[in-house]
Amino acid sequence: MNIKEVIAVILIIAFFLCAYFLFPKPVEFSQTVSIILTILLALTLLVIGVMTFMGRYIERRVVFLFVGIALTLPFFMQFDLPVPISPEVQAAYDELEKLPEGSKVLAAFDYDPPSAPELQPMAVAFMKYAFQRGLKIIIMGLWPQGPQQADQAIQTAFEVIPELEDKIKYGRDYVNLGFQSGNEFVILRMGESFKAMFPTDIYNTPYDSIPILKNVKNYSNIDYCFNFSAGKPGTVEWVQGAVDRFNLKMSAGNTAVQAPMAYPYLQAGQLDGLMGGMAGGAEFEKLTEHYDKATVFIKSQSFAHAVVIVFIIIGNVAFFRGRRRKK
Amino acid sequence: MDWTTFGVWLAAVFTLGIISFLYRDNIFYKLCEAIFVGISAGYWLITFFWDNLYSKFYSQVTDPVDPQWTPWIGFVLGALMLTRLFEKIGWLSRWPLAFIIGATAGVYMMFYFVSNAMLQVSATILPIYTGSISGAISNLFIIVGTFCGLIYFFFSKEHKGAFGGAAKIGIWFLMATFGASFGYTVMSRMSLMLGRLDFLFGQWLGLIK
Amino acid sequence: MDITKRNIKNLYCVHLIVFLFLISSLTVFAQTETVAEEDTTTIFIPQSPISVTAEDYKYDRGESVVINWGLSPDDDGSGKVTGYEIFRSEAEQDDFISVNVVAPGISTFRDKSVENNVEYIYGIAALNGDDASPMTLSEPVLPDTEIVNWNLLNLFFIGLLIAGSVIYFIAHAKRGKKLFIRKIAGLEAIDEAIGRATEMGRPILFIPGINDMDDVQTIAGITILGRVAKVVADYDIKINMPVARSIVMTTARETIKEAYVGAGRPDAYSDNMVRYITDEQFGYVAAVDGIMVREKPATCFYLGAFFAESLILAETGNSVGAIQIAGTAMPAQLPFFVAACDYTLIGEELFAASAYLSNEPKQLGSLKGQDVGKFMAMAAIALGVISVTIARAWGGSFFPWLDEFMHRLFTITN
Repeated sequence: MNIKEVIAVILIIAFFLCAYFLFPKPVEFSQTVSIILTILLALTLLVIGVMTFMGRYIERRVVFLFVGIALTLPFFMQFDLPVPISPEVQAAYDELEKLPEGSKVLAAFDYDPPSAPELQPMAVAFMKYAFQRGLKIIIMGLWPQGPQQADQAIQTAFEVIPELEDKIKYGRDYVNLGFQSGNEFVILRMGESFKAMFPTDIYNTPYDSIPILKNVKNYSNIDYCFNFSAGKPGTVEWVQGAVDRFNLKMSAGNTAVQAPMAYPYLQAGQLDGLMGGMAGGAEFEKLTEHYDKATVFIKSQSFAHAVVIVFIIIGNVAFFRGRRRKK
Repeated sequence: MDWTTFGVWLAAVFTLGIISFLYRDNIFYKLCEAIFVGISAGYWLITFFWDNLYSKFYSQVTDPVDPQWTPWIGFVLGALMLTRLFEKIGWLSRWPLAFIIGATAGVYMMFYFVSNAMLQVSATILPIYTGSISGAISNLFIIVGTFCGLIYFFFSKEHKGAFGGAAKIGIWFLMATFGASFGYTVMSRMSLMLGRLDFLFGQWLGLIK
Repeated sequence: MDITKRNIKNLYCVHLIVFLFLISSLTVFAQTETVAEEDTTTIFIPQSPISVTAEDYKYDRGESVVINWGLSPDDDGSGKVTGYEIFRSEAEQDDFISVNVVAPGISTFRDKSVENNVEYIYGIAALNGDDASPMTLSEPVLPDTEIVNWNLLNLFFIGLLIAGSVIYFIAHAKRGKKLFIRKIAGLEAIDEAIGRATEMGRPILFIPGINDMDDVQTIAGITILGRVAKVVADYDIKINMPVARSIVMTTARETIKEAYVGAGRPDAYSDNMVRYITDEQFGYVAAVDGIMVREKPATCFYLGAFFAESLILAETGNSVGAIQIAGTAMPAQLPFFVAACDYTLIGEELFAASAYLSNEPKQLGSLKGQDVGKFMAMAAIALGVISVTIARAWGGSFFPWLDEFMHRLFTITN
């Protein structure tokens, strides 16, 4: 490490320590400051663009820094962005709206903490909406931490609406069957018997003594399915194993990486609705009138996307200049 | 000692350690990486033990009310896998491997054939005449993209002439799809980074609400 | 009695008579009112449903019964019928239990709570509020399972056609007949990449994806590893292969060992060439990134199933200046490999490359058989699009029939 790097590390540590102990909390920029910072960011990008055009290329770490700034700054800025609702998210919401009170909904939580920033906001919005509508939720997961994420989503829903905690009873209004390994084989087996795959719930209560599971033998006794998926096993396996084979009706919330893989199923009618990534989560929050993390994060997302678009243009300018020079 | 605060600080330090790799490889990153790899290996070992060995095998075969014998089949197959460690009897491990590959091939054959092939062909049979220009263009895109994509992946004929032209259209559609998918994935990565930043600036430093 | 007393007596009589008259009239009036109330609260019992049929629901493991009935003649939309209640009893017993209540105007219900092989009798009663008509009973019905789901005949035939093609071409290849596979451009890149590693004297990094051996992409990756390992063994290049699954580790070790034995250099093989890191996705990629940055491989192969780690690996490999060849059938990861790698085998090209390199009859035959399937799909799409377009534009009877036929051929009805 050279001296400049050592100084940089010391300064960074000092910044974080000052932020922890000294800065006022929370930090909120006024509108004027927000506008000034946005203009400064735009001007810096313009300078970089001009430098690139003149043949003075920046290094990749500068790109990382700008993306980090674009993601961080909106946390402190006070502005709202419109969230237009896409047809596939509207379709997912409409299917849930059609369900009468008391309908049994199978909620499959197939993700883990690394994917929580994208999926947890829509999971919280879903649980809150489901409890308010009086839907009966049967939770399970094909990923080990999925059912724990479900529990966290329920706790957050109870914190947002404290009355729900008194109104909603475990065992009567929702149950957490836990995780079961076996991927698509679990999905197939559940088509015959839920009890065979989940003889007890996550608290070791026998299947038959849980009120909500009375008369729930397999998918034919479920009114709807909602899947939160971050990969494999996930939405694709649920469509292949449960929807196409057992005629289960389903909508899904996916990470933005998985969403393009689910669109063919949406187009073919195998999925009723689809929420893709944080944007999908923000749209669902708007529909269910639960404005939380996704709605807040979408501001940072939009800023970062704009910065990335500018860098893509700058990168292409550099590429075509480089090609012209070689000629 | 407030263990929650200690845990938050520990998580923050590890987060910054991993992020430091963006600048360059350094000893702090190596330390965080080694700890992360070790913890994840240990975590999966424990998860495997409790979720598979214990709940799927031990608790079922030793159930006082209704002991099962079928988990023994899986146990024997799993034990046979371990024979790989011994040269003389290592060939026995091919049997459980054959079972796994055969079973999954059989299941996947129907899964992919129905959901990814037949139903997608059915969904691609769309009318070009829909009564509206936008509907017609939309359907045409789906039909031409699917058709030319299939031509690109047809390996029994050289990509020459009209066939080659159609394959080229197919690869253009593929690249456009990859671009859209890339954009979606950039959004996904931003979201994950936002989660970490929310933790650092919110839960750790308390600078945001 | 004098006149006054008689008048008073008469007056009392008159008063008594009037009083009695008033009392009786009130009583009659009250009775009349009571009768009038009874007249306005008549109980209306609607007429029973006309007929009830119960049938086993087909192809469902004997878990449901479909009940149909003719609507009650009073169910004319006037509100006389407020619904229908469905009752069920086991055939030998006579204890009917209520299964469900449906709205008026509905004449069918699927009972999904029956037991297989238990005979039931159903009764439907028309409701008017709390009052119900007598039940109309069905004949006994036995929910049953069917051995063959005839609705899936189309699936069977198309599957037979494609599987038959695969078997035919495998047999064809086994007989030594050459099967034409067009040139895969990425294969030349593999040879070039290995050559680069030889020139630079730097190792090759081979990543077979993060899925287990049950994934066909991993199998394809290991097949290509066999080819790469042969060259590595011949030219004494170092190969480094961190893996995320234990079975993949053992299979890869066997493959590389075989290559070294085949090259006549079994002593040069070491189990450390293939190392298990961790099952956890990002733990694995963190370790591989570290290996890339420290060992600076000349060539990186990413051949198999990848998820979120694909871009991290490709970007890190790019930053250390390695030539990168990728191949995966994961649509979500292809964009990153296409953007960051020098060459990418897209989707099925990975399997085609594996078949081309191994020259194994099974792989070659499978590829050709799949081409038959693709040809069928293209033909179906072309025929279907033409028929549905003509049907929509001009109508008629043949093209709508053809359109319906093509859709039903490729749709599954359970």
